[in-house]
Amino acid sequence: MASPASYALRRHQQQRRRPLQDDNWVRSDGRGFHQCRPAFLRTGAARAASGSAYAEFGSTKVIVSVFGPRESKKAMKYSGIGRLNCNVNFATFSTATRGQESDHKDFSSMLHKALEGAVLLESFPKTTVDVFALVLESGGSDLPAVISCASLALADAGIMMYDLVASASVSCIGNSLIIDPAAEEEDCQDGSLTVAFMPSRREITQLTLTGEWSTGRIHEATELCLDACSKLGEIMRTCLKQAVSSST
Amino acid sequence: MRDLHLQQLRLNQTQRVRLQTALQKLQDVSPSSAAATVAVADNIPVNHEDGVLKGHGTSELDGQVVATLCGVVERVNKLVYVRTLRARYKPEIGDIIVGRVIEVATKHWRLEINFSQDAVLMLSSMNLPDGIQRRRTATDELNMRSIFEENDVICAEVRGFQHDGSLHLQARSLKYGKLKSGQLLTVPPYLIKRRKQHFHHLENYGVDLILGCNGFIWIGEHVETSNGVMEGDGGNKVEESNESSSHSVPLGEKGQRLMSLETRQHICQIANAVRVLSTLGFSLTTEGILEAAKASISLGINTKDMLGAEFHVQTAEREVGRRMSLLRKKG
Repeated sequence: MASPASYALRRHQQQRRRPLQDDNWVRSDGRGFHQCRPAFLRTGAARAASGSAYAEFGSTKVIVSVFGPRESKKAMKYSGIGRLNCNVNFATFSTATRGQESDHKDFSSMLHKALEGAVLLESFPKTTVDVFALVLESGGSDLPAVISCASLALADAGIMMYDLVASASVSCIGNSLIIDPAAEEEDCQDGSLTVAFMPSRREITQLTLTGEWSTGRIHEATELCLDACSKLGEIMRTCLKQAVSSST
Repeated sequence: MRDLHLQQLRLNQTQRVRLQTALQKLQDVSPSSAAATVAVADNIPVNHEDGVLKGHGTSELDGQVVATLCGVVERVNKLVYVRTLRARYKPEIGDIIVGRVIEVATKHWRLEINFSQDAVLMLSSMNLPDGIQRRRTATDELNMRSIFEENDVICAEVRGFQHDGSLHLQARSLKYGKLKSGQLLTVPPYLIKRRKQHFHHLENYGVDLILGCNGFIWIGEHVETSNGVMEGDGGNKVEESNESSSHSVPLGEKGQRLMSLETRQHICQIANAVRVLSTLGFSLTTEGILEAAKASISLGINTKDMLGAEFHVQTAEREVGRRMSLLRKKG
């Protein structure tokens, strides 16, 4: 709020917030509170990469390319396990305000944390796997989209993993929990929960909680996320199966 | 992956239908592997009573065998492993590979060979240009750039792995060494099966074809060496022998031999045949490549039109015919 450029935008949000206070508001895209946006997933989006995937959740559009395993460029000591190098970028045209420096500097490390538990790092010693994510359009729930898409790209690149990582987020607005929030819903949330989950193993690789929560609500929100992740995991699996069987 | 390539072909409606029926037939003909495809974390059904050896791309979870890769499940006796389709090359000792020099370092060259690491070719594990067996001296070390430079394409053999997992190559025969006047193609490594022979001289075309196990394919002008071995040992000796043996060939700016137009056309023809086959996802054999090249001549298709939609469809249909006739012979 310090910068004058964002002043107009913020006031706009304040106005929008008011109808959200009572319990029976409707989401802007007409979804139910516990309804995710339709997912569209494709592997092999970038030909130059060893593996790549494209994901579309409503208006959130993400492309992830995976390079490697390749020789670590930095001179480093011998290590028995491989390195996972993650990088998340936003395209200049991804947000409503063009070329705005995004405040998502921590996305890269969050992506790394979410993936490192799922990848068998010991299967490629001395080498690095680079994961480059580009958010083409930021329509809310960007990080979950990036995580799911990245795990798909890793699988496409033939990198050994314990399981796919599916991710979903829940926003808490007033008294209601809404899953897979869109950008404008994220702007006026009281708290958010992001879960990265391995569906077949039923293990959580990452859990991020921000804002005000009560214990009961956290439970409720986590259950919602896990359920959404399991379903997304199935979709990711069918996407990969299709890719494999079409190329044999 | 194949779908993606094929989408770029701009097939018209009839061609699309023909291609789809051809691919469908291929799937019906071959013992179906489509059922055995797995994604990450899928269960692989195994018979635990017989005992199971877990191979590449598998791990165990609650007594079940689980895939850690996407691909096709392969079973050899007790061994169960997952063969990935879109992965890097996995070297085996004795493989013949084609690679590109990316660095000239002390006593060794580093090569890009589509493996997860760079391969190392030691100065001591290759024949010297003068062909004498001796210790490598400091002078040899200084002259390394005259043998291979950065960005040279060379052919070598996998010698083995070091303790730290790095890959060493060797080029101890005259058939290995620098590759000149030709084209390098890269295809997915799974398309190339390990064979007895990876060097091929296509006599009708006057072209050398090297199918590197790492998915790098070299198509170049045929090089005749004095002792009848196909490829020279790189470096200066080849150039000299070439220059002395072929007086009639015109010389280029730097005294290099110029290739005849005919040879150039043949190289492109073979290269396009390889491209078509790899786009369709058919494994690359000399017979297959030659057949595709022959078909393009007999059908009167220009070299540049070989990459068009029509030739792809025809190649797919021809492959169906070939496999059908194979089955009939067996049955």
